[in-house]
Amino acid sequence: MNLQLDEYSHLDSPLHRWEPRCRLIALVALMFAFSFVRDLRLLPAMLVVTATIYAVSRLPLSFLLARLRAPGFFFLMVAVLLPFLSGRTVLLRIGPLALREEGCLALLLIAVKFVSILTTGIVLFGTVPFVITIKAMRGLGLPTILTDMTLFSYRYIHEIGDDLETMETAMGLRGFRGRHPGSLGVLASLAGSILVRSYEQSERVYKAMILRGYGNRPTRPADDFQTLPGDVVALSAVLLIAAGFIAAEIILRQCGG
Amino acid sequence: MHIPDGILPAAVCLGGYATTGAATWYSLRKINQQENPREGIPKASLLTAAFFVASWIHIPVPPTSVHLVLNGLLGAVLGYYAFPAILIGLFFQAVMFQHGGLTTLGVNAAMMGLPALVAYHLFRLRRALGKDSRAWTGLFGFLAGAGGLGISVLISLALLITTIPAHLDVETERASIYAMSLAHVPLMALEGVFTALVVLFLQRVKPELLEGGSPLSPFPPTLGGQGGG
Amino acid sequence: MAMVTGQSSVTGDALDLKSTAQPPPGSNVTALVVSGLNFSYPDKPDVLRDVNLKILPGERVGLIGPNGAGKTTFFLLACGVLKPNAGEILLFGKPVVPGGFRPEVGMVFQDPDDQLFCPSVRDDVAFGPLNMGLPKDEVEARITEALSITGVLELADRPPHHLSGGEKRLVSIAGVLAMRPKLVIYDEPTSNLDIRYRRRLIRFLQSSNETVLIASHDLEFILEVCDRVVLMDEGRIVVNGNPRQVMGNVDLMEAHGLERPHSLVPHAQPHH
Repeated sequence: MNLQLDEYSHLDSPLHRWEPRCRLIALVALMFAFSFVRDLRLLPAMLVVTATIYAVSRLPLSFLLARLRAPGFFFLMVAVLLPFLSGRTVLLRIGPLALREEGCLALLLIAVKFVSILTTGIVLFGTVPFVITIKAMRGLGLPTILTDMTLFSYRYIHEIGDDLETMETAMGLRGFRGRHPGSLGVLASLAGSILVRSYEQSERVYKAMILRGYGNRPTRPADDFQTLPGDVVALSAVLLIAAGFIAAEIILRQCGG
Repeated sequence: MHIPDGILPAAVCLGGYATTGAATWYSLRKINQQENPREGIPKASLLTAAFFVASWIHIPVPPTSVHLVLNGLLGAVLGYYAFPAILIGLFFQAVMFQHGGLTTLGVNAAMMGLPALVAYHLFRLRRALGKDSRAWTGLFGFLAGAGGLGISVLISLALLITTIPAHLDVETERASIYAMSLAHVPLMALEGVFTALVVLFLQRVKPELLEGGSPLSPFPPTLGGQGGG
Repeated sequence: MAMVTGQSSVTGDALDLKSTAQPPPGSNVTALVVSGLNFSYPDKPDVLRDVNLKILPGERVGLIGPNGAGKTTFFLLACGVLKPNAGEILLFGKPVVPGGFRPEVGMVFQDPDDQLFCPSVRDDVAFGPLNMGLPKDEVEARITEALSITGVLELADRPPHHLSGGEKRLVSIAGVLAMRPKLVIYDEPTSNLDIRYRRRLIRFLQSSNETVLIASHDLEFILEVCDRVVLMDEGRIVVNGNPRQVMGNVDLMEAHGLERPHSLVPHAQPHH
């Protein structure tokens, strides 16, 4: 499993340099604005905004395509039914199946929204190390228990993942192929072993934590985020764009679009 | 089963976040009521990571293989920590693999996390019948696993079918929900069996992992007691 | 020469208990005093039985013994992580309160993954100083200092899972040193280290000024680093004395499941 998150977070671009909290608020607002859109006429604007953001981020296109491939595939597998099931205006008959106009348009809508929101999300998490984004969330008020849990979990995912691979290899070397009816029990023991080992490790980690004072400090000093005027300008600009989409959608709906 | 971005209306997404926010707040409150909430954090964190990794295990189901959701098992093992654990696990999935969604994180977390809490309470019922009995533990493990997945599937399907911008009538909607739910019954059975097997394994090897102790303190204390060597 | 007292077993005679360390002038505070320490786990009784030990500031003491002797448990008690059933522990003159935070003592665990729990090296080394309530810039200074002392400053911005075993070991030491402890406890520091990092660790310990207590199966390592050795078996301190004398005593070592380090074995045919 490729857990590579921070491959391109060291590049330099306006998005990379944007202060993390401003970037977080701006891009999340944009993603929600996109999810609000239902009018097809706004789709081209969505794509333009998304493409611009991606271009400014200087992330390679291959990165985007690699990350969109699997989720895109699953999305299509489900959504491909829409043109055949939804709507009344038949465009084309293929044997017993009827391709319907409303369904096609619905598919187009959710497909564009899907790609836009995902791309924005990829930019959000691809342009700065994951840990810093979590700290930005903490800086914006997310409870410390949650951010601590996220950071500690993130730390150990790779190790535990490696353990799983080692154990699976060992099982394979002893002839396990998973086809035997008793395999489920073996896999359950595998899962159980991972849980037990992690539990036992967590007891040692807890001891290491209290030895270095965990729980001793009532408040944590604020993380070092410095907002420059440019950051706020960019934030405002993106928030305006997001508001623009929402306003446009509302207006278009009112006009009976 | 994870709902991707772009399908649900914004109102539902925000409603999902509101629900998840409330459930998280409630779970954290329950967690803080324990004797030593700080101690639970490394345990819950490592177990969150372990569950995240465990869900990668391929379960061969000829001709293919599936990944299990394990939200019922999470509930049985972590108790109230299961909700933040699921939230964090889904967050990782969305960010690392683009599986699920970021706007739909609230909805997905509520959809999988609330049934996990239900599964926790379901599993705890075994105490009334004999916590040390393997039969009851296995049975309630099965119920927790199957139930956890089942409720999630129902919510997920209902959401998708009622909010997809399609023009289906109520009849078709209801029929599709029934049909697709039925298709998931074998999966529910599989999750139930797997959960029961893991729970029995844990009962044999490390019973304190299973919501041992009081309901408010799912993990027994470390200080002055066990561990080390 | 300062004389320190300890127990001796029935088999050993009153061994020469010379320590080569000199306490700093004007100080009469011992680093660690343990008296009458008893500890049992709920499922394992008598893990430590009536342990008495005194360590002076500046000493480098090695703790040897077979697996299950109680070494790690002893360390956890000395740091206040575990609560003794009986006995007293004084750290730099003040009693150790179980669960309390004493940054004057630091412990380097056997498995660095157990104490490198933050997702970046910098955050991990900052953990201790932040919990001590130090201001931001002091914390930054300590991070740089600790990473420089251990020679891994270039790893500051790496995620821990990208580090090798030896690098993790050095970073975990940095995380402890950032608190500027006066007593540092090492639990099996050379396990899983390759030769290069082992040598680096030896050189580092030989040049450090803190009081050090090291448990290790790597007896040659103890020989190179420590000025005193304590042998523990079945929860008791058996012998406490000069490393060459204790570890060169073949009957004593073998009686407690150990062997003499190779360099102390008399060679009929010298091959070095």
